[in-house]
Amino acid sequence: MVSTRRVTIDPITRLEGHGKIEIFLDDQGNVDRAFFQVPELRGFEKFAQGRPAEDMPQITSRICGVCPTAHHMASTKALDALYQVTPPPAARKIRELVYATFLVEDHALHFYFLGGPDFIVGPQAPAAERNVLGVIAKVGVETGQKVIAMRRKLRELMALAAGKAAHPVFGLPGGVAKPLSGEDAARFREVADEAIEFACFTLNLFEKIVLGNSSYVELILSDAFTHRTYYMGLVDEKNQLTFYDGRMRILAPDGHEWATFRPEKYLDHIAEHTEPWTYMKFCYLKGLTWKGFCEGQESGVYCVAPLARLNVADGMATPLAHEAYLKFHGTLGGRPVHHTLANHWARVVEMLYAAERMKELAHDPELTSPVVRTLPTAVPREGVGVVEAPRGTLFHHYHTDERGVITAANLIVATQNNAARIALSVEKAAKKLITGGNVPEGLLNMVEMAFRAYDPCLGCATHSLPGSMPLLVRVRNPRGSPLTTLRRDADGSIHRE
Amino acid sequence: MGASTESNVEIRVLGLGSEILADDAFGILAAREVKRLFPRQVEVVCSSSAGFGLLEDVLGASHLMVVDTIVTGHAKPGTIYVFSVDRLQMPPGGSPHFVGLCEVLALARKLHLATPEQTTVIAVEASDCTTVGGPIHPDVRLAIPAVVELIGRLLRHGPSRRAARA
Repeated sequence: MVSTRRVTIDPITRLEGHGKIEIFLDDQGNVDRAFFQVPELRGFEKFAQGRPAEDMPQITSRICGVCPTAHHMASTKALDALYQVTPPPAARKIRELVYATFLVEDHALHFYFLGGPDFIVGPQAPAAERNVLGVIAKVGVETGQKVIAMRRKLRELMALAAGKAAHPVFGLPGGVAKPLSGEDAARFREVADEAIEFACFTLNLFEKIVLGNSSYVELILSDAFTHRTYYMGLVDEKNQLTFYDGRMRILAPDGHEWATFRPEKYLDHIAEHTEPWTYMKFCYLKGLTWKGFCEGQESGVYCVAPLARLNVADGMATPLAHEAYLKFHGTLGGRPVHHTLANHWARVVEMLYAAERMKELAHDPELTSPVVRTLPTAVPREGVGVVEAPRGTLFHHYHTDERGVITAANLIVATQNNAARIALSVEKAAKKLITGGNVPEGLLNMVEMAFRAYDPCLGCATHSLPGSMPLLVRVRNPRGSPLTTLRRDADGSIHRE
Repeated sequence: MGASTESNVEIRVLGLGSEILADDAFGILAAREVKRLFPRQVEVVCSSSAGFGLLEDVLGASHLMVVDTIVTGHAKPGTIYVFSVDRLQMPPGGSPHFVGLCEVLALARKLHLATPEQTTVIAVEASDCTTVGGPIHPDVRLAIPAVVELIGRLLRHGPSRRAARA
């Protein structure tokens, strides 16, 4: 990389966990390659070593302020495997119910307030309007309040069943900490009906705002946001989408099933590639070997998250979500859909499934059984737990000594699975805009759109305060000296220095 | 967490961070110390949530004091910043994963929720918030008593009228 010029896009003063985009230019000033860097959580393995494995569901839920429930659940499932214990049916159902409730809440928040600036406000809207206030201006205060009210009810349910709404404390190896009362189940049934109605309302809103606007649809289908890669996700025994438990399935770019495996075999299928310029690791499919940052049938680059899950699944296990699934694939040209921005639509389809699944589980008579724990008796050795987190497949893997004290631990989070494909997306956006060393201001929005659709975890830290300089592009010469700086300030104004 | 949607608390100190992420523990540790020293004057909430997960934590108090770490890269670890949240503007774009305090407050205001009349941010420059189980930088640790003292002063001579009455 010595002979290339280097462009750095750095949301520099966002507190914590900022992503960084590196763009390397060739001698002609055209894009040679672009990467999206995710700050790595350091020291996890060392920190885990020597700790009792049963502490992990609590500890790992503290490393991410965004999806602690997913970490708690993957970790609890890893403990089941570690102690070779199967939770009683009621415990399994309580866990899945809590997880479905979490998914409805998280997907709703994402759709309206996080992804909304791109899709509800619109990709072409002025930068200053592409924020949560722009979303409310478009959907109305009443809808905004509806989202918040729904969220509050869902969080109350999570606190009811999982101890706490934000950081659950109910998962134990072999079950959960407490049974669900008849009264609690009734409350879940009540809210599940509201959640289904809310998800249908959201799907209609999406269809009205996004599908009703041909320029949005064109953008979704555009080459700039399309990559023919592999897809990975959990499926049940009928190859239908599941968030909580199942087999991993990988779909090839041409739509055929490329692999299916039990989650504990993930290391047979996923490997990590390193680059000399970053500490970040890029996951790829081991069977295809690493062939670089490229797409297509021969490349091992794959993708997780809502779009990937809707691609690997043959259908949805609930009626309304299945109808929405058919419409999704029908509108976008059939499986697999390779359009990255379709993640936003897929997320709403998944929200509907999670709400319907909540209802099914809340009506299950076994849910309120008092038997919620199978006590572990086996000697622990190794355990893998997997769930589909809102942003994609999440693996927890622990080795312990015979006392259950951790000797080795590994996490693969959604963004690591997606890292190589995100790099492809950023590169495509950058190539479209940078020519002959000219770095136009529109680059900032385009690359941002490219990685926003994945909702990458930019470090698992928890901070909240934004700074005054969300994006910065530095163009450097081969010796690393800055040539020019492109900066976007907090008010949306762009400056060149 | 104890936060409700009605403005029923005069002053809340909201400590943000994660105890297992090196300097990131600062906000939580400082908030706990505030609770120990001023148990009757202030409600203390500690949160490891991020983005819109913070919504409930910011609602229902007249004056919110947010204690957090900051990484500007332009100051020594332990440097203390105090500013009103009004000084922070809501940035357009950025990662959807990292919605900040400004966005959460702006949303709450727009939706007519019980938003604080005043939000003061007390942030300390951190050096490392991503090493699991990492140590707290000595200068960041030293900032804990200084920030607690500062909050004590704000509680005595609070900048807001309502806070001052508390």
